Amino acid sequence: MITFEHVSKVYPDGTHAVHDLTFGAPSGRLTVLVGPSGCGKTTSMRMINRLIDPTEGVVSLDGQDTRSVDAIDLRRKIGYVIQSAGLFPHRTVVDNVAALPRLLGVGKKEARARALELLAKVGLDERFALRYPYQLSGGQQQRVGVARALATDPPFLLMDEPFSAVDPVVRTQLQDSFLQLQRDIGKTIVMVTHDIDEALKLGDQVAVFREGGTLAQVASPAELLAHPADPFVADFVGASRGYRALGFVEATATVQLADEAMVRLGARPADLGEVDGGWCVVVDDAEAPLGWVDLRTAGDVVEERHIDFSGTVARADGSLRDLLDAALSSPTGRGLVAGPDGRLRGSVGAAEVLRHLGRGREAEVAS
Amino acid sequence: MTLDWIWDNAARIGELTAWHAALSVIPTVLGLLLAVPLGWWASRSARIYPLVIGGSGLLYTIPSIALFVLLPQVLGTKILDPLNVVVALTVYSIALLVRVIADGLASVPHDTVQAATAMGYRPWQRLWHVELPVAVPAIGGGLRVAVVSNVSIVTMAALLGIPQLGSLFTQGFSLRLTVPIVAGIVMCLVLSVVLDVLVHAVTRALTPWQQKAETA
Repeated sequence: MITFEHVSKVYPDGTHAVHDLTFGAPSGRLTVLVGPSGCGKTTSMRMINRLIDPTEGVVSLDGQDTRSVDAIDLRRKIGYVIQSAGLFPHRTVVDNVAALPRLLGVGKKEARARALELLAKVGLDERFALRYPYQLSGGQQQRVGVARALATDPPFLLMDEPFSAVDPVVRTQLQDSFLQLQRDIGKTIVMVTHDIDEALKLGDQVAVFREGGTLAQVASPAELLAHPADPFVADFVGASRGYRALGFVEATATVQLADEAMVRLGARPADLGEVDGGWCVVVDDAEAPLGWVDLRTAGDVVEERHIDFSGTVARADGSLRDLLDAALSSPTGRGLVAGPDGRLRGSVGAAEVLRHLGRGREAEVAS
Repeated sequence: MTLDWIWDNAARIGELTAWHAALSVIPTVLGLLLAVPLGWWASRSARIYPLVIGGSGLLYTIPSIALFVLLPQVLGTKILDPLNVVVALTVYSIALLVRVIADGLASVPHDTVQAATAMGYRPWQRLWHVELPVAVPAIGGGLRVAVVSNVSIVTMAALLGIPQLGSLFTQGFSLRLTVPIVAGIVMCLVLSVVLDVLVHAVTRALTPWQQKAETA
């Protein structure tokens, strides 16, 4: 647990970077600090490992005041990941990860073996181990940055805009693989970002800062979307928050799925008989849905060029947002739903998703 | 005035070149060692930087002859002691290298330094394991200037009678011979080029991590 108690930071010129900050980042969870630039989120994070010292108040780790510990010893318990990775340009990838263990006296062989394990864990191929940072892409460098921060297996992790220096596709990959990693390692993490979508996606808890370094709201992402504390938070969380809130409502077994006729590539429509409306789901050999085909316009044989790929496929254990998106993007208005094994389960219409959502709302009001 | 003079004096030219090399290289190395802490100190504070850099820059403006003559009185050495030359040239090397070190350390990417600090490197660990290695290309560049400049300044020590290639200039002058002077100049040039290439090669060997031009 990382706790802030009435923490303020005032610079000599009188600027209030952070004002009377009180909140806790629970153990094993990911807390995201988010807000517009100049709101004090980065300053707050840097007070945790004493890169910046607070003017007032107490920052403590598991109940221990950070000022009562030597700053160097403190930092060695806290992994640190920064935006541009900040790798050591003169060390190979594996030696970047092994650097801190080596500094603390771990043997070269042991440190490198552990570094290789960590690189595998963050999803970086072993063949990159002996390269220098300049030979890696931004996304790969960031993976090395994460591995390096975990090298001494610290209980705490600070991340300063870790995924914002890469393109959107790579960012999504990094976020997904980091979420998976965190499920595995369960570190107590404080992450800073200016991107509310990233905050809502990654955070177990989100702390929204406003200009002047004050805390506007601390809540779970779903809570933040459903019950913003004030107009500032509502505005910052942004438009289409109703739709995004669906992302935090899990689809349950009560959502009714309709059966769909399936057809494999290479099948002959003539053999299938009448299909309602002419639309049919094309599946691969494992019965995973590929898209829709209109049998009225397909030729004698169903080929890849006949498939309409526009619809997204939702997972049966996904969120209502996924289901609704599948329905809205489908050429038939029926969203495809697959099981965790990837096989087609059936389809769902937008009306069914909304009916289900309405029931959830009523239950919430009743309780 | 023939090339015979060179053959007749080959052994002596070799000996003078060896002395010259030693009197150029040793002060460069000593200067580097002393410039590291000074440059580090300067690079750590915007207030100290101009004082240290300005102060060390002033050292370079002291005329070398004056320094050669003055040092025996300060150090208590004999005027013919090569130590005077070593000390004087070390002073000049410091003057050149403090700025090189300070600017080299300042050129280390801010993110790299911040990452090392946040990981829990102590300041001297960060200097030794991160900042100095990353600054090697910049420091190597400055070192090349310093060593070549020393090769040139050492010749002044001939006026005191300390043997090195400059001795060929004074000899040529007193004998009214051009060949020793030309031979001295050529050997100085050769020595400069050799030392320059050597420093460059060492710099390259220490920085296999640098992005090569062809892959840029």
